[in-house]
Amino acid sequence: MVDVIWVTMPFLLAGLWITIKISLITILCGSLLGFVVGMLRTVGGWAVSTTLGLYIHALRGTPFLVHLYIIYFVLPATGISWLQLEAFPAAVISLSLYTSTYVAEIVRAAIEAVPRGQSEAARSTGMTALQSMWYVVLPQALKLMIPPMGGVYVIIIKGTSIVSVIGIAELVRAGEHATQRHPKELMLIYGMTALLYFAYCYPVLRLARWAETKFGSVRLPS
Amino acid sequence: MASKTPIVVVKDICKTFKIRGRPPVHALRHVTNHVDKGEVLVVIGPSGSGKSTFLRALNGLEPVDSGSITIDGVELTSPKTDLNRLREGVGMVFQHFNLFEHKTALENITMPQMVVLKRKPGEADEIGRRLLERVGIGEKADSYPSELSGGQQQRVAIARSLAMTPKVMLFDEATSALDPETVGGVLDLMKELAAEGTTMVVVTHEMGFAREAGDRVTFMDEGEIIEEGNPEAVFDHPQHERTKLFLSQII
Repeated sequence: MVDVIWVTMPFLLAGLWITIKISLITILCGSLLGFVVGMLRTVGGWAVSTTLGLYIHALRGTPFLVHLYIIYFVLPATGISWLQLEAFPAAVISLSLYTSTYVAEIVRAAIEAVPRGQSEAARSTGMTALQSMWYVVLPQALKLMIPPMGGVYVIIIKGTSIVSVIGIAELVRAGEHATQRHPKELMLIYGMTALLYFAYCYPVLRLARWAETKFGSVRLPS
Repeated sequence: MASKTPIVVVKDICKTFKIRGRPPVHALRHVTNHVDKGEVLVVIGPSGSGKSTFLRALNGLEPVDSGSITIDGVELTSPKTDLNRLREGVGMVFQHFNLFEHKTALENITMPQMVVLKRKPGEADEIGRRLLERVGIGEKADSYPSELSGGQQQRVAIARSLAMTPKVMLFDEATSALDPETVGGVLDLMKELAAEGTTMVVVTHEMGFAREAGDRVTFMDEGEIIEEGNPEAVFDHPQHERTKLFLSQII
């Protein structure tokens, strides 16, 4: 058993590294995009808000696997050259779009959870809508975003396992390769795989918890 | 004594709230009023009478449907007016204080000065500390709103407005959410401001304050001004039945 672990671990670690790369790029791009979408949805007019709402609900209401297939298999079939994506960019793009919809809703909910009186007070001192958002509403909304953001990030990290279906050798895929070589050690190998996910996700959750306390408990007016 | 220069001129403003599935609410029906420089106008009336809407209209927080509002010669209701610039000169104190919860008492006062008036941090800080002393809580500069009592929070809110050197101060039921024992202190502060010649519009249920500090009292009901005059006239010799009924209920 020890030698199986010894032989398999390098493969799994290589897989973990790809999982980390995909998830970090996804979290970064998805959060940025989601932040912009969520902000625009709160401050934009009816047309902007409806369009973005459609984007969010379309992506959230359909399985991620379908998005991945569309981006990896369907788009290249159009023959347009810049839509011919390799597996890695296809995975990162589809995951980022998916992530952005969850982040957007968190951002919108957090902004709307800051009491209206805060922006009214800001505006009544002469601040513009933008200044009120930047100096008063967002700093308070950010604290509200931290706990749900941590949850979404962990879901995304684990969700990267799906991209194994388009041949990316991330952690789950690496584990499957290993089971083919050691078919009698399924439990051990999948157990190692799960442990590696846990070793990556747990610190993320701790980090979110730490950030939550570090940036102060949320102070909301009664 | 108030000189006769109008700071706020309100002409024939109307405001209707339309909520789907419910009959429209006429919050303001053809309201005309004015506030002179140094004058303290007290607006009283039952809840739902439109007095808060009237006050919020005066700094454009509640846009009106028709009519005109002019603040120190600038027409608030004109689409060409830069509302942000105009609001710099109109201080507002809210029932629920609305202090910026993520900022200390001092930062609450310095931040708008730096953001809106572009004052240097040092200058804003000096003004902030002086005003905190002025409203009687100089030692609370570094406390967060959640660490302050309601009365202290309202004092910070008043200082925050004063820091912008407003031409007129609006008070929207500033003591209604306070514990009874802190009401008096905030009212005293408002009386001091009034005595110093601050132009004020005060929506309140504190009839003692209205009588003592008010230069003029306006009674509103169902979106209309029913009666107005100096405090003695309105409180001691109300002319209108609705005014008499209201006063008999609350005094």
